[in-house]
Amino acid sequence: MSEKSRVLGAAGGALGLGSLAAALGLCCTVPWAVALLGVSGAVAFARLAFLLPYALIGSFALLAAGFWWAYRRPIACAEGACIPADRRPLRWVVWIAAVLVGALSVVALTSPLPL
Amino acid sequence: MRSIHATATVIATMLAATGCADATDADSTGGYALLDEAASQLRADFNGAKGSVRVLFVVDPICPGCLRGLDDVNRDLLAQTDDPRLQTYVVHVPVLGAEAKDIAPAARLLENSRIHHYWNPSGEFGRQLTEAVDLKHGDEPVYAWDVWLIYGPEAAWDEALPPKPRRLMHQLRALTGSTVFPRLDSEAFAREVRQLLAQLPASPPEP
Repeated sequence: MSEKSRVLGAAGGALGLGSLAAALGLCCTVPWAVALLGVSGAVAFARLAFLLPYALIGSFALLAAGFWWAYRRPIACAEGACIPADRRPLRWVVWIAAVLVGALSVVALTSPLPL
Repeated sequence: MRSIHATATVIATMLAATGCADATDADSTGGYALLDEAASQLRADFNGAKGSVRVLFVVDPICPGCLRGLDDVNRDLLAQTDDPRLQTYVVHVPVLGAEAKDIAPAARLLENSRIHHYWNPSGEFGRQLTEAVDLKHGDEPVYAWDVWLIYGPEAAWDEALPPKPRRLMHQLRALTGSTVFPRLDSEAFAREVRQLLAQLPASPPEP
C-alpha cells in the first residue's frame, strides 16, 4: 500500500469515526434521530451511545497514524540516499482532518440543552 | 345532511389524529391529557390512586435517550406486570421541540394498561418538579426531564408542587456523578417497584 493511500485512509477513517462520535453525542439533544429513523430506530441508535468514547479514541488513533505516515522519513531515504517525494499535500490532508476531527469531538462532547 | 355528516367525520378523524379527541382518556395507545400549569389532571389522578405504587416519567417524546429509557423500563417492569396496584404517569414535555403528534409513537413503546399520558406544552411541569425535588448540579437548578420517579402508596400531592419521590433516577449529563440522584438503571428501578408492590395487600380481583 502506498504512503498516499495510507494517509488518505487514516484521515478518512478518522473523519468517519469523528462523525459517528458527533452523531452519537448529538443523538440525545437533537431531534433528528426520531425524524430520520423513527422511534424504534432512535431507540436502537441511543443504545449505541456507549460507543462514543471508543469512536473518539479510534478517530484520534487514526489521526496519529496519519500524521506518522505523513511525516516519517521513508526507510530508503533515511540516510539521505534519495530525494523524497513532496509530501506537503498529504500533510495538508492530515492537518485538515485533524481540525475537522477536533471540531467533531467538541460537538460530540458538548451537548447544550435548551432548558 | 350528508355533507354535514361527512364534515363531522373529517373533523372527528382529524381530532383523533392529533390526540385531542382522546385527551381525557390517557392510555397506552397514545391518548393523553393536556396538562394545565397547575398539573391539576395529573394531581387528581395521582391522589386518586393513593394506596398504589405510582411511577412518574418526564420525557420528551422525540428524545432518543428518553425513548430508550421508556423501552428499558417497559422491558424490565411494565411489560411484565398488569398489577392494578401499579399506576404509571408519563408527562411529555417539548424540551427538544416535540409536538403533541409525537406522543402516540412514543407511547407505543409501553405495554401496560395502566399508563396515563400527559402533554405539557409549556414545559412548566419540569420546572415545578425541579423545585419540588431540588434537582441541582452544584447550586444550579437542572430542568427535570428524562427523570424517572417512584412513589410509594403513602405519597399524596397536597401542596402546589409535586411530592418528593422515594427514588428519582435520571439520564441527564448535567447530573452525572450525582450521589443523590442515580442514573437510570431500569433493572434496579423495577426491583424497587416490585419490592414496594410486595408490601401492599393483594389487590381485589377486577370485575
